[in-house]
Amino acid sequence: MNLYVYTLRRLLYIIPVLLGVCAIVFFLFSVVSPDPTLIMLGKHASVQQMEELRRELGLDRPWFIQYLDIVKSAFTFDFGRSWSTKQEILTMIKQGAIPSLTLSLPAFILSFVISITISLFVAFYRGKILDKIAIFGCVSMMSISSLAYILFGQWFFGYKLGLFEISGYEYGFPDFVPYVILPGIIWIILGLGPDVRFYRTILLDEIYQDYVRTARAKGLGESLILFKHVLKNAMIPIITYLIIAIPFLILGALLLESFFSIPGLGAMTLNAVNASDFPVIKAMTILTSVAYIIFSVITDICYTLVDPRVRLK
Amino acid sequence: MSEEKLLEIRNLQVQFNTDRGPITAVKGVDLDVYKGKTLGIVGESGSGKSVTALSIMRLIPDPPGKIINGYIKFKGKNLLDMSLGDMRTIRGNKIAMIFQEPMTSLNPVFTVGNQIIEVLDLHQSHLSKEEKKNKAINMLDLVGIPAPEKRIKEYPHQLSGGMRQRVMIAMALACEPDILIADEPTTALDVTIQAQILELMNKLKEKLGMGIIFITHDLGVVAEMCDDVAVMYCGRIVEASDVSTVFKHPFHPYTKGLMESIPSFDSTEDETKARLKTIEGMVPSLFDLPKGCSFQDRCPEAIDECRGKKGPPLLEEQAPGHQAACFNPLK
Repeated sequence: MNLYVYTLRRLLYIIPVLLGVCAIVFFLFSVVSPDPTLIMLGKHASVQQMEELRRELGLDRPWFIQYLDIVKSAFTFDFGRSWSTKQEILTMIKQGAIPSLTLSLPAFILSFVISITISLFVAFYRGKILDKIAIFGCVSMMSISSLAYILFGQWFFGYKLGLFEISGYEYGFPDFVPYVILPGIIWIILGLGPDVRFYRTILLDEIYQDYVRTARAKGLGESLILFKHVLKNAMIPIITYLIIAIPFLILGALLLESFFSIPGLGAMTLNAVNASDFPVIKAMTILTSVAYIIFSVITDICYTLVDPRVRLK
Repeated sequence: MSEEKLLEIRNLQVQFNTDRGPITAVKGVDLDVYKGKTLGIVGESGSGKSVTALSIMRLIPDPPGKIINGYIKFKGKNLLDMSLGDMRTIRGNKIAMIFQEPMTSLNPVFTVGNQIIEVLDLHQSHLSKEEKKNKAINMLDLVGIPAPEKRIKEYPHQLSGGMRQRVMIAMALACEPDILIADEPTTALDVTIQAQILELMNKLKEKLGMGIIFITHDLGVVAEMCDDVAVMYCGRIVEASDVSTVFKHPFHPYTKGLMESIPSFDSTEDETKARLKTIEGMVPSLFDLPKGCSFQDRCPEAIDECRGKKGPPLLEEQAPGHQAACFNPLK
């Protein structure tokens, strides 16, 4: 089967999955969560006020119409207005996406490059002292709370040394750069421990395979074996691992954004949760799901490029 | 003798460090490989035959393994003294190896052609891209793979086990090595495919005139394939000679036991009804070897001397050109 036909069909599969996501979102927000009018008007609202607000928000219509509203928003990305800021949600998302992506995208890419390079080194020196130090380092780094890195980074590099901005954001290149460097570095450091440990495990799994012995018997050097034979086989689990992390890029780094007061999607979502701003939470839920679905399609396509055993079906 | 000696192994000793202390998997092995001849190494699992083969390629995983004594001279040069870089110019080029597991020995994510050409890239870099590709096709043709110009673009998972082993052989022979080490190359294959692969190897030996080290646990295969044979038990060679001599008159009870455990078609009716003979007992653990001969507990001929403090018997000439390590050799 052709790769294009396969891709097209996988993209069509998105439709039923998205309808399911909408159903879950609808169920969570309409059936399980408390009456939004109570949250918005407080405990002392009159029945009449509540009726009015319900009509205004469209909550008096039959449930399937409300469900269709969610479905419509999922496909058109028109999520309506925020309850608390009265802004167009799509505009808010567009505004928030820029700070989020300028922080997360470079950090994500750098983090991958750095972690995989270190793990290749570690795998090359497996069983030797360097490997042991690296593993010890990984586990120690994973054992420290992420808050410690953030607070130490802000105190030491921001306050003591005065190297980086620790709060706020400015739109436009290169104005944003000073604001994302420190959170970016902390992002990378936070990923280092678990990532190196994971990649090392994957690489070592491959190093003890029979085909590696064959490659050695052919006269290949260790580095060629590692970079050509082992890495290509290891890419399959690594791709899966990477793609699972991508929705975090869309949602932004909740913790880092709030600690560094970066007005990104993560901060926006946190504020929405605090304010019970349902339309915004709904929009972010749907958006994350859409991202997840699309990237899982991309993962499958990547598999077919890396592993010839994966058939297009 | 006008035979050209390609490989001379003397007193090879290989040790593995385990959690339970060091064990010596190969305890002083002597072997010779001649041009155009096949040497069979026979033994049960754990006899040290594969470790011996991997030592020749210097592919013993280190740690935990280490060659602690002896030499392996290839055309007069000791492989154990060579730098790793020099060793790589030997591997796959002068000495090639094929393995027991054809299903997993090829890299699943590269095409068959790519993997054969890789050997040529390493050892015959003077060839042009086109020449390398043609050579790869010729090699596949040589090992009897139909439509080689199509197969070259296929991945290992598209081939059967027998075909994969043929690809391994093609890859191993791509640089016309002097020695081919075959570590149980047919164990994982169907019997009919096994016969085809053996026939192919014999044909290629004639054609290319290399020396073959053939490792197996099957004396029947040795009879078909080999000129010389060395029987290994617990890291030592217990009997060695040319194949017909050993089959005619084995000196070591272990060799005899192995021969009797081969099913035979031309036995009389009474014999067919009788159960196939087996060697009683199990191979002792290398951690817990008995004093004296390692085979004593399973040996029907064992005498006091075998259990004595003399240590294990040495490999000695029992008849001209026929050595065995036994205190009480069969008459």
